[in-house]
Amino acid sequence: MSRLLEVNNLKTSFYTHLGEVQAVRGVTFSMDKGDILGIVGESGSGKSVTALSIMKLIDHPGRIKEGEILFEGEDLTARTEKKMSELRGSEISMIFQDPMTSLNPVYTIKNQMVEVIRRHNKVSKKEAANRAMEMLSLVGIPEPERRIKSFPHEFSGGMRQRAMIATALSCSPKLLIADEPTTALDVTIQAQILDLMKKLTKEIDTSIILITHDLGVIAEICNKMVVMYGGMMMEKGTTDQIFHKPSHPYTVGLLKSVPRMDCAKERLIPIPGSPPDLLAPPKGCPFSTRCPHAMQICLEEAPPVFQVEENHTSACWLLHEDAPGMEGYHKGCDIVG
Amino acid sequence: MSDSRFEFVGEISEDLESVRPSLTYWADAWRRLKKNKLSMMGIAIIIFTILFGVVGPFLTPYSYSDQINDFRNTPPRLELYAAGDTYLYLTNDYILLEVSENGNIQRRLERIEKDIFNKIYVYEMDGEAVTVDFSYNTLPTKQGYDYDFTIEYMGQVENQPAFTKWNKSFPFGSDGLGRDLLTRVMYGARISLFVAFVATLVNLFIGVIYGSIAGFEGGRVDNIMMRIVDIINSIPLVLYVILLMVWFRNNGLWNIIIALSSVYWVSMARLVRGQMLALKEQEFVLAAITLGVPKRKIIFRHLIPNAMGPIIVAMAMMIPSAVFTEAFLSFIGLGVSAPMASWGVLANNALSGLTTYPYQLFFPALAIAFTMLAFNFLGDGLRDALDPRLRKG
Amino acid sequence: MNSYITKRLVSAVITLLLIATLTFVMMHSIPGGPFTRERPVPDEILRTLNEKYHLDDPLPKQYFDYMKGLITFDLGPSYSKIGTTVNELIAGGFPDSARVGGLASILIIVMGIPLGIISALKQNKTIDYFVMFMATLGVTVPSFVIATVIIYIFAGQLGWLPSFGLSSPLGYIGPVLALAGYSISFVTRLTRSSMLEVLRQDYIRTARANGIPEFWVIAKHAVKNALIPVVTYLGPMVAAILTGSFVVERIFAIGGMGRYFVESVSNRDYTTIMGMTVFYAAFYIIMVLLVDLAYGLIDPRIRLGKEE
Repeated sequence: MSRLLEVNNLKTSFYTHLGEVQAVRGVTFSMDKGDILGIVGESGSGKSVTALSIMKLIDHPGRIKEGEILFEGEDLTARTEKKMSELRGSEISMIFQDPMTSLNPVYTIKNQMVEVIRRHNKVSKKEAANRAMEMLSLVGIPEPERRIKSFPHEFSGGMRQRAMIATALSCSPKLLIADEPTTALDVTIQAQILDLMKKLTKEIDTSIILITHDLGVIAEICNKMVVMYGGMMMEKGTTDQIFHKPSHPYTVGLLKSVPRMDCAKERLIPIPGSPPDLLAPPKGCPFSTRCPHAMQICLEEAPPVFQVEENHTSACWLLHEDAPGMEGYHKGCDIVG
Repeated sequence: MSDSRFEFVGEISEDLESVRPSLTYWADAWRRLKKNKLSMMGIAIIIFTILFGVVGPFLTPYSYSDQINDFRNTPPRLELYAAGDTYLYLTNDYILLEVSENGNIQRRLERIEKDIFNKIYVYEMDGEAVTVDFSYNTLPTKQGYDYDFTIEYMGQVENQPAFTKWNKSFPFGSDGLGRDLLTRVMYGARISLFVAFVATLVNLFIGVIYGSIAGFEGGRVDNIMMRIVDIINSIPLVLYVILLMVWFRNNGLWNIIIALSSVYWVSMARLVRGQMLALKEQEFVLAAITLGVPKRKIIFRHLIPNAMGPIIVAMAMMIPSAVFTEAFLSFIGLGVSAPMASWGVLANNALSGLTTYPYQLFFPALAIAFTMLAFNFLGDGLRDALDPRLRKG
Repeated sequence: MNSYITKRLVSAVITLLLIATLTFVMMHSIPGGPFTRERPVPDEILRTLNEKYHLDDPLPKQYFDYMKGLITFDLGPSYSKIGTTVNELIAGGFPDSARVGGLASILIIVMGIPLGIISALKQNKTIDYFVMFMATLGVTVPSFVIATVIIYIFAGQLGWLPSFGLSSPLGYIGPVLALAGYSISFVTRLTRSSMLEVLRQDYIRTARANGIPEFWVIAKHAVKNALIPVVTYLGPMVAAILTGSFVVERIFAIGGMGRYFVESVSNRDYTTIMGMTVFYAAFYIIMVLLVDLAYGLIDPRIRLGKEE
């Protein structure tokens, strides 16, 4: 299977007047065609910045400092802005968290969709409008001939997110990046949107990067996942591997803080403390100040990446062979990065 | 790798985490405002202008109405011509003044002879004649000189100034009635700022009360009150200020204040109403209502303090527009009456002699511009500091 | 949409009648009469004058006469310029005022908006600092100062422009600049801040993420949204130009309405003050109405025909 996307040692920083905010500090992952990759982490963990870096949509004063982003083997960091904008919307699309503000309020849905379709395809306005209506009915908007003439404010939140998805998928992109697509929506709508994404990407043959802070969402549709914290990657693997054999205290904490239907008696355990200040990130593991199993070395040195299983890695000193034994952890893993 | 590094450290002490000190709303706003250099400059200029207006007039030897007719229309820079061991300055209306070496105006010299045809005036100083010949470049026979007049004193003819000195007697110059412009600009500051502050306070008071009643009551009361505001708002307000000023018939200080105060509260009322509508939906207000706190108390103890940020910003912007409107009214002749003077009156007075005495306009205009600039900077800074949307980091 | 316009027109007419009434009441409640001068006018003449101008009629009759005149666009005779009607004064002054004001409005729009956009796009660059410096200067210096400086430097010292009147096309430059100065600066500042706000919006990011070229992201998606608050300012701008014209016309000695208005104020020419106030108010209300309609065209969220 060909590699669709490979992100190697991505580092993105924002150069503010207060100093360099290191939002992403070395993220490496890859995905194949057909994958649905989840990136999970709390706000400020760098997951959105990672996504925007792939799109090269980092606004001033931010910039990709280091690393490469290989899309079908081509390094996107080397692409010019013009070349990049040709790629956006046609090869890689992105939808955002808040559908209420992500559509331009002064243009009709039709106007905005036709603009995108005609940007990437040589078609007439009429053909573009037909394609747009087709997409709208595909995402489940009833009476697309009528609704397409609406302004965004005439749509409900769920409808707007559907319209966003319709626009993003209208040029059949190979990769869809969804940045918390369901966070701003009602729970019932959330499930509908997720189902829709799952169904559509199968139909159009699109891979997805799903960014979320909701492990439930990941469990539902992703086959691979990356856990981020403090701008760094904590753990990555297939969804099954991570849910069954979490190998990082942060992942464990995340899993414990999610309510589960099957063990109702268990208490939800929040992770105490707050995320690190990315202006002056700790020199050790970013999670060390909140980690229940922090060791001296965790405060002093950033952990290397240990191989836990095939395709399953974790950046935690507990996996080092010198570390004291811990229930459920697999000491003595190989250092792979 | 030493093994001690692989020992659990247990509970991590709090100080490892970055904890920002928690600040109250106002302390935080002040901290942000202090960081804004332009705003701090604005505050400095405002304080300076207030001191300039309040204390300044005590430091000058003149009052705003003292007229020294002999010394009228003297500019801030004097071109001095040597005459014996003293110096002379000729004003644009051919008044010859004796000026000391350091720029103090001593006295006006009596004119004893006037030859209009040959354009020669003769003045008298200590029994000796001073002859001013200003026929150069004006008479057809005397063209092409690089000077316009000569001053002759005891056989010594000067056609170039010995040097140029700052006017020590009138640092900003004097006006057409021989009044000290520095003193008048200082008094102008007093009047302009007084009018602006009082009018703004009155507008604030009316606007806040009107707006909070409309916003808090809601429903029909709100509807009627806002309809009235809409109507007032659809009137060009300056016209109404002008009408009020005409109606008052005499242009007293208080009339201006009343006129300015009676129409400009509308925007404040709208702003406050909007704030009230948003705030009254919040739980703490609901809690207060449930606890039976009287309406008046809810408005004044809970709602207005929470709307204070935008109100203060609006106020900071209202002061300069009051200064502006006052200057404008004075300029079209509806300002405070003579000999009192605001900056607008001073600018208006200077207009007729603009080409000959531009400095008379320069100083009041500069004062207006500086004050406006200062309040604008302060207002911008306050908006940034008090805007809760930007309240982070 | 139509019902909205009708509704607005009706409320405009009501507002106008209220303004006229208020103006009438104010003018007639001034102690003394319009012919009270510092030098007392002989009783005989006063009586004739009062009779001639129907000032001896009972007030309600005068009011209804005035209102009747108003409805038929007759604003009555001028008290100080004997033999002239207020209508003639307005008709004489309006064309010049309208030309200067119209040119100023065009200048405000074609300069203020592009400057604001450029400044926002070049935020914190030299050009931004320069534009903002000029714009800040523009809102802090009153129009009469700009006007006099123009006269002093360009008409007086350099002699490039005539210092008064509109007899040559060059004569328009000074008044138009003085009249537009404040609003250009204001519009520039407003456009800039609104543009900066819009550029931070999610839909701009969406447009970029959909591969829309940067030029169109700005020209299509950002500018139209950024113009919404600018259009709102156009209403008050009309007012700023009206009041500016009082000053500018006086300084540049233009025989426009503004100058007549100021003259009538200093002459206490009550019918002219009243007539011009009503005229100005009507003009202002119509302009604001037009601006509101334009606003509805730009921003679809403003649902016309349904207030609040």
